[in-house]
Formats: sequence, structure tokens, C-alpha cells
Amino acid sequence: MIERAIRNELEAIVGPGHLLTSPEDLVCYSYDGTFAECRPDAIASPNTTDQVSAILALASREGIPIVPRGMASGLAAGTVPFGGGLVLNLTRMNRILEIDRENLTATAQCGVITADLAAAVETEGLFYPPDPASIRQSTLGGNAACNSGGPRCLKYGVTGDYVMALEAVLPDGRVLRTGNKCLKDVTGYDLVHLLVGSEGTLAVITEVTVRLLPLPEAKRTALAIFPDIGHASQVVNQILFAGVLPATLEIVDETAIQCVEAYLHAGLDCTAEAMLIVETDGDPETAQREIERVAEVCRQGGASDVQIARTSAESDELWRARRSVSPSLGRVRPNKLGEDIVVPRAAIPEMVRRIKRIALEHDVPIVIFGHAGDGNLHPNILFDKRDEAELRRVEAAVADLFANAVDLGGTLSGEHGVGVLKQPYLEMALGPLAIEVMQGIKHAFDPKGILNPGKVLPAEAYSN
Amino acid sequence: MGSKTEELFRSCIRCGLCLSVCPSYRETLNETDSPRGRVALVRAATEDGLQPGENYADKFFRCLLCASCENICPSGVVLAQLLQETREDIAQRALLPQRLAELDAAIAANHNVSGEANAQRLMWADNLERAPSGLDKEQAEIAYFVGCVGSFFPRSYSVPRTFVEILERAGVDYALLGDLEWCCGYPQFINGELDLAKEAIHHNVEKVAALGARRVAFTCPSCYHIWKHVYPEVLGHELDLELLHATELLDQLTAEGQIELGPFPRKVTYHDPCDLGRKSGVYDAPRRILERIPGLVLVEMEENRENAHCCGGGGNLESHNAALAGQIAERRARQAAETGADVIVSACQQCERTLGGAARAIRLRMRVMDVSEVVLQAMDAARRQSTEVQNR
Repeated sequence: MIERAIRNELEAIVGPGHLLTSPEDLVCYSYDGTFAECRPDAIASPNTTDQVSAILALASREGIPIVPRGMASGLAAGTVPFGGGLVLNLTRMNRILEIDRENLTATAQCGVITADLAAAVETEGLFYPPDPASIRQSTLGGNAACNSGGPRCLKYGVTGDYVMALEAVLPDGRVLRTGNKCLKDVTGYDLVHLLVGSEGTLAVITEVTVRLLPLPEAKRTALAIFPDIGHASQVVNQILFAGVLPATLEIVDETAIQCVEAYLHAGLDCTAEAMLIVETDGDPETAQREIERVAEVCRQGGASDVQIARTSAESDELWRARRSVSPSLGRVRPNKLGEDIVVPRAAIPEMVRRIKRIALEHDVPIVIFGHAGDGNLHPNILFDKRDEAELRRVEAAVADLFANAVDLGGTLSGEHGVGVLKQPYLEMALGPLAIEVMQGIKHAFDPKGILNPGKVLPAEAYSN
Repeated sequence: MGSKTEELFRSCIRCGLCLSVCPSYRETLNETDSPRGRVALVRAATEDGLQPGENYADKFFRCLLCASCENICPSGVVLAQLLQETREDIAQRALLPQRLAELDAAIAANHNVSGEANAQRLMWADNLERAPSGLDKEQAEIAYFVGCVGSFFPRSYSVPRTFVEILERAGVDYALLGDLEWCCGYPQFINGELDLAKEAIHHNVEKVAALGARRVAFTCPSCYHIWKHVYPEVLGHELDLELLHATELLDQLTAEGQIELGPFPRKVTYHDPCDLGRKSGVYDAPRRILERIPGLVLVEMEENRENAHCCGGGGNLESHNAALAGQIAERRARQAAETGADVIVSACQQCERTLGGAARAIRLRMRVMDVSEVVLQAMDAARRQSTEVQNR
């Protein structure tokens, strides 16, 4: 509950109409891309860094929890306001401030939709590689705060590899500018990359400067169908052995193929156990030569069919299939828990075998898809949360998935983050000392514990 | 709300992809104005204790019913039906915003949206060089259902005038209903008060039948949409009539050579009306017509066909919140300007009105025309060419 006097102060900061408190508004800011939900006490939608700063100073003074939020497509309940408090809706801060062609950088406010930034730099012949599946419904600030990945990170890396500088507001309202446009910088601790991936628990990112690349001249996409998912997962490593570093290398299993086909009617082979979608890029000759090499390795490795897209429209169609996987799963069961484990690449075939076994043992459907090239798999458990027995089986299956990923030298999350949903497993993955260090960092930034409380680390651990 | 609606929202997995295409969300950037938000509101009202009131109703009438959310939803949520049923639920709870309730009552009383006497329905045909031949016919092959906006709003008179002129020149056997035409019921339908339109629906079908017409032509995509998708449900049977949007008829006439098209040397972009495109599947007929016109260069907006952004004129939003409708229209007008075209062509008098208003508001040097207006100009050009040839 936020008192009337405080609400008035907040409204004076953001202006009339930008402090929302109606029951309808509270419902609409109670969720993210997961099944979790909890209503906040109010929502403030600032449009300048000064407003964010004033809101945080006020929240700090009054001890109001703050949950920074972009477009809430997150998959770890990181923006669900479990303890109530104030949701900081940052979508109005959506201006691209600069595209610097000489230094190959772009600077934008946190609420810019990532696809809009990518399109804007592309018109200048430049390339912003990070491409989370939610690229049309997530923001640059959210991507930085969660260090989002995406299919292209096999060759190009994740969001954090592109973030060069940040403007961020500390919990007490002070504005921190950190980083610069220099390609090298060892001047002090790397605060930029401490904030990247901190899920809004240390500071509110308000402005992001990212590195750009020249736009690759050509792309080639291939889709390979495998009757046996074991073969598909082995081919992932064989492609890299063959000397090709594809821009992306994605795996999709049979259930996912069937869901996507039901949505797109793209003529996908629903009897296949897996498909790989591979993209090469660069100058036209190299991209073509490499995709042909990929096709050859796939055929030798057990693919029953390999298509190479001939036009960019055909390539877009193949990609649409991959991007549609996660959302189209709602056709099978009403709820899904999209996990995000990552293992060293060599362990992919073994992890796929173990996921299949876990699904059988716990009697829950698990769909596998993901960025096989970088070892980041998305086993999605499908269920109906109204069925309590099923919900318990899901929880047991999740614990098993995490234990097996860690056992194979991997970890809980490659790109979705910890949020709340992965918190119970954090110590298993990191060990107690790492958690103690993280608690110290949290305390240094946010001694009052008002910023996104209960996310990443349990709330009670730093509440005093 | 019933269990049917519950099944409709159950499959929303909150991915948020619909936010990227929702016209009202794109303007306000507020989740409460998004399709995902509206689904959450219906669910909260159904099973989580949210008590629908005026504010709840407002959120659903800030929607354009443009169906772009349903078009992009990968999870198969039938949003158009969900949003329509929610409006019906709101009307039944007597929560319909007052202006919209007044509009529905006025239509029921006067049989048109303008508030004027229905006897004035032929004002658009006054001051024409010659009276439309379709006025006095008792029997005809085609009934032309003009619709309220073309009949009563002076800025839109040009649409029926142009269409009738084309029919005359092409020698089409058509008739007008005059003041026997009643509002099709679309505004009441989308306000969730279809009951108020039932008398008019029966009336309109009877009057068309009395002409012995086999086909009905519409210049208004909303009239076309309700006749096609809702009339059969109200009547309890399929209509024994072929329903054609003007672009479908003009497509036939230009393909068969009944209309001769001269040059219209302009760069144009075509805006798909939601009721004609996404909601009725008519994308190709208008484009085929335009492509047959010599000298005309058709360029597409980035968001076209099933991905077309609404003009802002849908869902009765203009009556409910004109400022938001205006913002949405300006975004679409800017998208049109980005193509470098000098004419925005559409096939709906409502889209043309809202886009024309937006183009003026943001000082775009673009004309907004109906497909039929472009066709008539091309016919005039053909006529001039043949006169010149004769004079030589």
C-alpha cells in the first residue's frame, strides 16, 4: 500500500496520467512471460532519467520496493512484483539518441524496442547482432539488465558483449554514468558488466551504448530434418569440427515441430524427431560455401532432408518457424515452464538423452529446442497449473533438469536469468561463497534492499 | 462470463508478441492498452475477483477490434471473438460508455448514424449532373448498399458518387435503396448491442430481396463485413445473395474490359482496411485493379496486407476517444509517407476520412483517395486519349 501523499508526490514527478493505480492497471502489471503473477500497488511511467532519479530517491526515503519493467516478456518472473510496491514502467523512455558511424556505436534510452534499434542501425548499413526471440517485444534496457542472448550468440555473443556504456540510476537516486566508447578499458572495476545481467537488482538502467558491426553482406539459411534427435545433437559439434562457425545453429525437437506446424502450416515434417536450423553469413561466396559444407555434414550425420533457402523470403520463413516455437506451445497445454539450461557444447548429446529420461520419469511432456550451437537448451515443460499433482511433478522434473545440467559442467540459465523461478537452485549451481560475494555486492549498491527485492538472491538475505 | 470465453483466454501464454502490433499499445505504451492486458482483464474478471466498472469498460473500448493481435498470436488465442464477447458482456452489465449507448439508441431511432432523418439518405446524390439511374429502379441485378458515412458525411459523398458514375458508364444494372436503406447495424454490433440492430438486419435483407437483386455491392467494408459474417447468424440461414465489396466488383469489371483504364501516372500506396483485409480476406482485388492502371506505380508500406496497421477509425474508437484515434491515424499516415508515394489509396470511406485528417494534421503532402476514385480518373484519362485520337 502506497499512501495518498506519496502517490501525489509520485504523480507530481511523472505528470498526470502516468501514475496508474486502478485495479485494471494493477492486473495488467502483475505478470511477465511466465505463469507467475502478483499485483503491484502502483505503476509509474517516467520518460526522463531525472524522473527515474526522483522516483528512486522518494522510494529510498520511504522504503518502497521498486520493480523496473520493460515489456515484461521475461521468462524468470523477474519483473513480477511479488512484494507489491511500485512498478517502474520504462517503455516511454524510447528514444534512439545517437548512431555514431565513426565509432560504430549506438546510444538509446532503455525503453527502445530492440527490433527498432536493430532496424534503425541497419538503415545505416550497420548491425546490432543480439537477437532474443522476443526481439519485437523486449527493450534494450531489459535486454541489458537480463544479458539476453538469442540464436546469433554462437558466433556473435550475447547482449553484454555489445554493451559499452550505461547510464543507470542508483537506488538512492544518484545517476551513475559508467563505461565509454573505447574498445579497451581497464580503468577500475568493470561496473558496466556488473550491471549487465543484474536483473534490476542493483540499479535502474536508463541509457545503453552498444557496439555495432558492419552489416554482413549475405546470409544463407539451411534447415535439416533428422529422424533421430541423437544424430541431430551430434551433428552440432561435427559442423564446428568441419571448420564452419555458423551465425546460428538451432535445434527443435518433434513436439516443437508439431506445435509450430499447427500454427504456421509451413509444411514441416511432423514425423521427424528433430530439425536443425543453421545460418551462415559474411561475404556471399563464403556464406554460400559454408552453408553447402553444413548441408553436407548434416547429410553425412543422418539428416533425411536438407533445404537451403534460396531467397531471403525463404530464409525468413525458416526463421519464423524457429521464433514461433516458444509461443506456439500454448496449443498443447495452457502453461509452460521454459527452462534455459546451458551445458558445455560437447555435453549436448548426453544432456538431450537425460532430458528425455527426465520427461519419462516424471511423466511430464518436455519439449526441447534452443541454441544448440552454444549449448543453451530450452527444455520447456508443458502443464496445466490448475492440476496440483501435475504441478508437483513439474517441480520435481525442474530440480532434476538443473541437477543434471550442473552435473555435466553446465548451469541453470544461459539467457533468461534467475528471477524468482530459479532461485531455489542458485546455491547448488554457484556454491555458498559466490552467493556471499553477491550478497555483498547487492548491499553495496542497495543497502535498503528496495530494488527488485527477492529477485536473483532471496530477499531476506539482504533485507537488513 | 461463460465458459466459452474462458476457453478463449486460457491459451494466452503472455509472450507479449501482440504488444508489438497493437495500435493502441503502440501509442500509449501502457500494458493496460494491450491485447495481453485485455486478456488478463477478462481472466481477472472471470476468476480473480476483478469487478467490471466504467474503467474496465473504457479499456475494451480503447481497442480498435482491428484483429492484428489475433493475426500475430502464435498461441492461437481467438482474440477478435474474445474482445467482441467482452463488449457484449459490458453492454449487458449496462457499462457501455454513454456516448456509445447514445449512438446505438440514435441508430435504432433514425436508422442511420448521423442523427438526421433517414429521408435525407440521398443527399450525396443531390447536385449531380444527372440523377443516378439506379434511383428509380424497382428491379435490378445488383443492389448498391451505400452505407451511412458515404450517405450523410459530406466529405465522404465522393465515394458513392464516384462508384455510381463507374457503374453507369460500365452499363451495370444496379439499384439504390434510397431511404429504404437502414444502418447495417455494425456500430451497434461492435458496441455489444446486436439486439438493437436485428430489426434493421431483417429490414435490409427484405428490401434487397424486393429488388430481385442477386448481388449486393458495398463501398463500406464494415457494412460488407457485417452482412457477410453476422447477418446469417441473425437470420438463422445463409443469404441467398452474392456479397461483393466494390473492389471485388471493380476487379471483375476491369478484368473483363468493361472499363477502359487510361494512365494515372502517380506513385500510390494501398492501405488495407481491417474489415476488408484482415477480417474478410480481401487483399488482392484492390491491388489487381491498381496494377491494371497504366503509369500507376504501386508501392507497399512495410506493414501491409494481414500485417496492416489500423487507420485509427476502427472499433468506434473515434466516438469513444478521438484523440487516441487521431494518434493512431497519424502513425499510419507516416508509414504511408515513408514509401515515398504521393497518394494513399484505400477502399473504405472511414479509413480515407481518418487518414486524410491525419495527413492534414501532420502536414503531409499526400492525397488520400478511394480505389474507385482512382479508377474513375483512369477512365477519364482513357476517354481523353480516345478523343485526342479521334481529333487527330
